[in-house]
Amino acid sequence: MTATLEPAAGAGADEAAVDVDPITAEVIRGAFETVAFEMAQHVSLAAVTPILNQSNERNASILDARGRLAGLSVGIPQFMLASRGPVRFALEFFGADGFEDGDVFAANDPYHGGGHLPDWNIFAPVVSDGELVLIASIQCHHGDTGGDTPGGYSVNAMDVWAEGLRCPAIKLVERGVERRDVLYMLQTNNRLPTYIADLRAQMGAANLGVRRLKEVVAEFGADTVRAAVDYSIALTRRRIREDVAQWPDGTYEAETFIEHDTIGNKDIRIHCTATVDGDSLRIDYTGSDEREFLTTNGTFGNTQGMVLSQFCTMIDPSIPKNEGLFDAFELVVPEGTCINPDNTRPVSAGTHHPGVEVSEALALALSHAIPQRCQPQVYKIAIPTVIFGVEPRTGAFFVDQSVDTTSTCAAASSACDGWGGTPTAFGNLILATAEINESLLPHRQLGRELMTDSGGAGLHRGCPGARYVKEVTAQCQVYTWVLGTKYPCPGIAGGKAGSASHLYLRVGGEHEYEVTHTAFYVQHEPGEQIVNEFAGGGGWGDPLERDPELVLEDVLDEYVSVDGARRDYGVVVEGDLEALDMRVDVNATDALRAEMRAAASSAV
Amino acid sequence: MGVLVGIDVGGTFTDLVVVGPDGSVEVTKAATTPDDEAEGILAGLGDVAAAGGETLAQLLGRTDLVVHATTTADNTMITHSGAPCGLITTEGHRDEIELRRGWKESIWDPTVPAPPVIAKRRFRISVPGRLDHEGNVLTPLDEEAVRRAARRFRDHGISSVAVVLLFSFVDPAWERRVRQIVREEYPEAAVSLSHEVMPAAPEFERTSTTLVNSFVGPRVVAYLQRLVSRLREEGYSRQVLVMQSNGGVASVDAVCDRPVVTLASGPIGGVIATAAVGAATGVSDFIAVDMGGTSYEACLVRNGSAEVKSYWNWVQRYCIALPVVDVVSIGAGGGSIARVKAGGLAVGPESAGADPGPICYGRGGTQVTVTDANLYLGYLNPDGLCDGAVALDASGVEAAIASQIAEPLGLSVLEAAAGVHRIVNADMNNAIRRVSSEKGQDPRKFALVAYGGNGPVHAPAQARELGIGTILVPRLAPVLSAFGTLTADFVVNQVRAHIGQADQIDLSAVEADFAEMRSLAEKELAGAEVDIGDVEHRYEFGCRYPGQTFTINVDVALPDGHVTEAARDVLVSRFHELHEDLHTFATPDEPVVVAELRLRSWTSARKPPIPPAPPPEPGDPILGSRRAWFEGDVVDTPVFRGPRLGPGHVVEGPAIVEEPFTTIVLQPRQHATVDDFGNYVITSAGGTES
Repeated sequence: MTATLEPAAGAGADEAAVDVDPITAEVIRGAFETVAFEMAQHVSLAAVTPILNQSNERNASILDARGRLAGLSVGIPQFMLASRGPVRFALEFFGADGFEDGDVFAANDPYHGGGHLPDWNIFAPVVSDGELVLIASIQCHHGDTGGDTPGGYSVNAMDVWAEGLRCPAIKLVERGVERRDVLYMLQTNNRLPTYIADLRAQMGAANLGVRRLKEVVAEFGADTVRAAVDYSIALTRRRIREDVAQWPDGTYEAETFIEHDTIGNKDIRIHCTATVDGDSLRIDYTGSDEREFLTTNGTFGNTQGMVLSQFCTMIDPSIPKNEGLFDAFELVVPEGTCINPDNTRPVSAGTHHPGVEVSEALALALSHAIPQRCQPQVYKIAIPTVIFGVEPRTGAFFVDQSVDTTSTCAAASSACDGWGGTPTAFGNLILATAEINESLLPHRQLGRELMTDSGGAGLHRGCPGARYVKEVTAQCQVYTWVLGTKYPCPGIAGGKAGSASHLYLRVGGEHEYEVTHTAFYVQHEPGEQIVNEFAGGGGWGDPLERDPELVLEDVLDEYVSVDGARRDYGVVVEGDLEALDMRVDVNATDALRAEMRAAASSAV
Repeated sequence: MGVLVGIDVGGTFTDLVVVGPDGSVEVTKAATTPDDEAEGILAGLGDVAAAGGETLAQLLGRTDLVVHATTTADNTMITHSGAPCGLITTEGHRDEIELRRGWKESIWDPTVPAPPVIAKRRFRISVPGRLDHEGNVLTPLDEEAVRRAARRFRDHGISSVAVVLLFSFVDPAWERRVRQIVREEYPEAAVSLSHEVMPAAPEFERTSTTLVNSFVGPRVVAYLQRLVSRLREEGYSRQVLVMQSNGGVASVDAVCDRPVVTLASGPIGGVIATAAVGAATGVSDFIAVDMGGTSYEACLVRNGSAEVKSYWNWVQRYCIALPVVDVVSIGAGGGSIARVKAGGLAVGPESAGADPGPICYGRGGTQVTVTDANLYLGYLNPDGLCDGAVALDASGVEAAIASQIAEPLGLSVLEAAAGVHRIVNADMNNAIRRVSSEKGQDPRKFALVAYGGNGPVHAPAQARELGIGTILVPRLAPVLSAFGTLTADFVVNQVRAHIGQADQIDLSAVEADFAEMRSLAEKELAGAEVDIGDVEHRYEFGCRYPGQTFTINVDVALPDGHVTEAARDVLVSRFHELHEDLHTFATPDEPVVVAELRLRSWTSARKPPIPPAPPPEPGDPILGSRRAWFEGDVVDTPVFRGPRLGPGHVVEGPAIVEEPFTTIVLQPRQHATVDDFGNYVITSAGGTES
């Protein structure tokens, strides 16, 4: 019942032909990170689609000939960490001998190592003396990937075939010769005329990575490079085990829910049991939802990436990110659950949900053991509001995935209030702006201000969610799926949850309504608005312990209302907000907090 | 012809370079006075005058030009001690600065807190009034709301106001109106208008840049005005120019209009000076690297000019989207701490600084630093650095390397020390790769110009690893930053949003825009009252393919400023070429979008020539030899005294050359030749590195 769809490369003894000293290993590791950075940077500068060139949804990694992660760059952690799967499938399929100098591969299939179809992996081998040494890989989320719905998030798909073009592993370039037929076929299956230009940006990045990695191999020799990879992986594994050894032994459980999938199934459960025993850790998702026709599913590779991206925020941030992460602990994800489904299920939205709930359940489980390390890496948006239509200024078809600047689920941590609008792990995702996007797309971004009282209360307060208003200026279609209305961003260690989310469509006319689960091809007329009240971040620690003077500052800045200060923090603030003339009533606060503590302990 | 004075204020010392009418260069160091940098400068100038047997008034009376690089703006950001700031912005957008487009410095560490706040939310006030992207009014400006905001600022002493309205770069009228209203309500307030600070999209970058301008502005302005008036009191009547982060200098008045342009100008004087030294020695494509005690700075210089980056520049966690000389800085210097953590060796970014400093400084440092490793490897003179001004004490170094690094890693002490050296070199080489690869350039095609106290210790070994064939160590290394202020051009940078497809834009409108920018620039340059030559202009079009965010600047020669059909054709074909160079591909079938017009206008002030090498000190240049580590072995290595070497002298590696300001560690099969200016030109036997 337990599955890892992993090829056998992972754990176990590493056998290197030569010894490498720790200094050389470190020098080579640093070179890998620099190469991966250059590759990602290349896509940011060269791609034509906002999600790539503005939003940085591009993830570079370097793998060895066994498909093990050797180094990665800036990007989105869950996707960087998941992006090795398709390369591993290609290694199985073609064999290492099938990776020839000058080849460039493409892959996007969720059931051959991927996450969802819009994520295209482009990778190319580094061959030295006829032998495969390394693979440079760059994964990007594209604006479209065929299928029944523009934009790649198919809310109505009942299986994976409906979601778009599936491509387990193909060669775009064979020994330096571009496959025109294949590129033409790919473009034909994509709605966006800019798709190939973005793909070319990725191919350029992969080639750049290969060129630079060949220099590294030439400098140190292939055997030393291989030995350095082994050394770094073993080091990461050891450092993680040293970290875990300091966690209290025990079995910790938590579960979280997705309130509904796109066809009305309710309360989809993600259950996590984390067992710490000395320096070993087992993370087990047994008990997660196994219902047959859920439309909210994530592949095993996606689940693993989510576990790792959460895990990485819980360990020493300086530990190098490589294959050592994957085999530092045991991961159990039963087959047939919605986070390791059979290979027919739709998964396009799975990179969001149940993806982030996998992270959330792990954070909640381990918050019983190491609360000071826990900040859930979640966002409760379901899928973005995808807007498509014809741009009147150019007559061209457009898809707007609404990766716009906003604030949602930026939870507090043990050290600070939530801030910046995103959880930590998504901090490389640079969000789109009004002034650029209004010049490109038929809409106006009329606001994204933070909402008072929406950040979860705590010793450290969650970042408030934003009220986001977008007005369309041309007729267009909107589709989406909404979450976070019932299960918001949770608090940790006594912190309170953030506010719930709400989405309203066709605002500003007589057809305004709140979306409670999904919206499918809702036509908007010029002048109608899409209004998102995004969920706030969860708090960390007991709000009754927050310094009343900090609560007063929050009231003055309208992060918290006077009523909210009293209700959530037990802090009595009096005075004139408009005149910024306010103070804490210390006696009343002490009395109220004592009363609230007494009520809380009697409730327990 | 009078005297030229270049002043660079550093953290500890204020460097003054005084160039006489005969081209002679005198150098003085004075203690920096951080509370008011002007005092340290005047004290230093007083010392220069006294050394020449004249009064300060006499010296200043015969001075033609004072050029100054100030760190006031940087210090204000580092200590977060700027003016109380407020923001007036478009309704719905007052939290842009907090949201930061979602960007965070660390994606792995949730304990990193928010950046310190420049304008508290209660003083970020949004007002109704909205333009569309073409400047059409969607909602009229609510002037009463602006007035209420101004009164709130006045009532609470918020004395510096940033105004950022959406699409103000398309039509700035509303921002100007807001300034008028604020002045009516609160005449004492300083006001920064975003379209004057940065007339370009998008809103987060412009908000951040304008807020920083508001924050540092009042202090920078007050400081510069005080400096000018103090110099006037002492008898100076000519112009004071200020170094900008774009690599040029500007008048005090121009800088006071936009003080944010002085931010991060500190390391830039050095880069500009390397270009002047390079020009004199025939090296025009190089990477300038400065390794001091705590940080390492690298900058790509092509055709004698430093690369400038106009977007996504971050200073003290705020985005500055203005042209900034693209210097990449990492935490690697002589004081960088080396340590082992569960089997891995890391160097920096933590630094022991100057106090306590490395163990070998004997000031209480206990952690192994790069300098300690260099001493153990035989690279540094155990009797002391800087002609003995910095005493060294090797006792304790070996034991510390053994216990802190060698034993945990299972290495010998020598291997451990060499490891520290190699790791820091690798980190610095990765910084070099970043500055070159981001521009699509292969570092092997460049020279290295190395300076800073520790730069030449490491550069020869780094060059070998990078495959770089030539290294230049300038004799002026100790005062490059101060000297650089005198070699910088007088620069006015302007940008204007002008969005349209290249094949459709109205050429006469572009020509008119450029003409207007040109006359503004010429006015500012003329107002500087320096001995200026002809004003030169570089016309650039910020271009991209449809859908791209970041533009490529394409410069097109426009004789007499005429924008012709032929110029348009050059623009389009040049863009495709540049795109291919930078990003490995071009799509000539795609239209080219022009997003911005940029005009860089400059004129050369009287640049001092690079002074010739002084006559060598008498005496045998070979001081002796010591055991030093090269290529895995410890070998007897000759040690030279640099000041005893003269032009034409060649030193074969491995060798160590001790200069008062640095130590050059020459690798095997490299040789260093002293040129006519006293610079060391290091090349490899056989010409290329492998």
